[in-house]
Amino acid sequence: MKLRAVREGLILIALAFLPAIGEGIYFRDKVSWQSPIPASELVTVDQARAWSDGAIWVDARPDEEFARDHVPGAFSLNEDHWNELLAQFLPNLSRDKKVVVYCSAESCNAARDVAKRLRDEAQLKDVFVLQGGWEEWVKKSK
Amino acid sequence: MGEEEQMKYAWRVVDLIIGGIFVYAGVSKVLDPAQFANDIDNYKTLPWFVSVRLAFYLPWLEIFCGLAVISRFFYRGGLSILTGLIAVFIGATVAAKMRGLDITCGCFGHASKNWNFSTHLVLDLAIFAAILALLFANSRHRVEL
Repeated sequence: MKLRAVREGLILIALAFLPAIGEGIYFRDKVSWQSPIPASELVTVDQARAWSDGAIWVDARPDEEFARDHVPGAFSLNEDHWNELLAQFLPNLSRDKKVVVYCSAESCNAARDVAKRLRDEAQLKDVFVLQGGWEEWVKKSK
Repeated sequence: MGEEEQMKYAWRVVDLIIGGIFVYAGVSKVLDPAQFANDIDNYKTLPWFVSVRLAFYLPWLEIFCGLAVISRFFYRGGLSILTGLIAVFIGATVAAKMRGLDITCGCFGHASKNWNFSTHLVLDLAIFAAILALLFANSRHRVEL
C-alpha cells in the first residue's frame, strides 16, 4: 500500500510540473526571476538624491521608526495604517514626480510591498524602491 | 442506512472539504504567482530564485492533490503529499513567528491576507488533523463509494 502511495505521489509531483512550466512561460516577462525587485524598479541613494525636488520620499517603516528619524520631507506610509496614511499622502502627491519608497534595510520587504500597492491602488507609475533602504541612506549621509 | 455506510459518507464529505480547500488554495495562488512568490520570500528561508519557482509549482501541486482527494483517483498519493505540504507549512509558520517575522501566509491568496497567526495555525492544524484522520481511516478500511 505504501509503494502505491509513493508511486501515485510521484506521478502527481511530475504532473504538476506541466502546467507550472506553462504558467512560467506565460508569466516569463511579468515576474522578476533573479531578484524580488526588478532592476528597473530599484534606485540607489545617489540617483534618488540627484532627482532632488523631482522625487517624493515614502517611508514604509513602522510609525515608531519613522518618528525616530527619517529622510527629510518623507511621508510615512506603512501597511499598519494603510488607508489612513494613504489618505494623508495622496493630496501631497504630484503625478509628475517620482516616488521613492524605503524601509529599514536591504533585507526588508515593506518598501517592495508599499511600492506595489502604490502602483496597483493609487495607479502611480514612477514608483521606485530605494536600494539598501534607510540603512544605506544613513551610511551615505555620514 | 447502517452505521458503516454512514461513516463512509461522513469520510467522503471530509474528502470533499479537504480536496476543495486545496483546490481553492491552489487556484487563488495560480492567479497571482508574483504575490505568492513574495509571500514565500517573506518567510526569509529560501533565496528568491527558489521562491519564485516554487510559487509557480506549489499551487499546481495543491490543485492536483486536491483533485486526487476529491476524485479518489491517486487518492493515497494525493493525501500523502498534502500531509507533507501542510506539515512543512505549519513548521515554517511557527518558525517565522519564533523569529519575530510578521507575515501573511499567502495560503489562500488575497483571501488570507489579513489573517493573524492564531487563525493560520488553528486552520492549518485542523486541516492537518483531518488529513491524518483520512489517511488513518483509509488504511483501516478502504473507504469507497
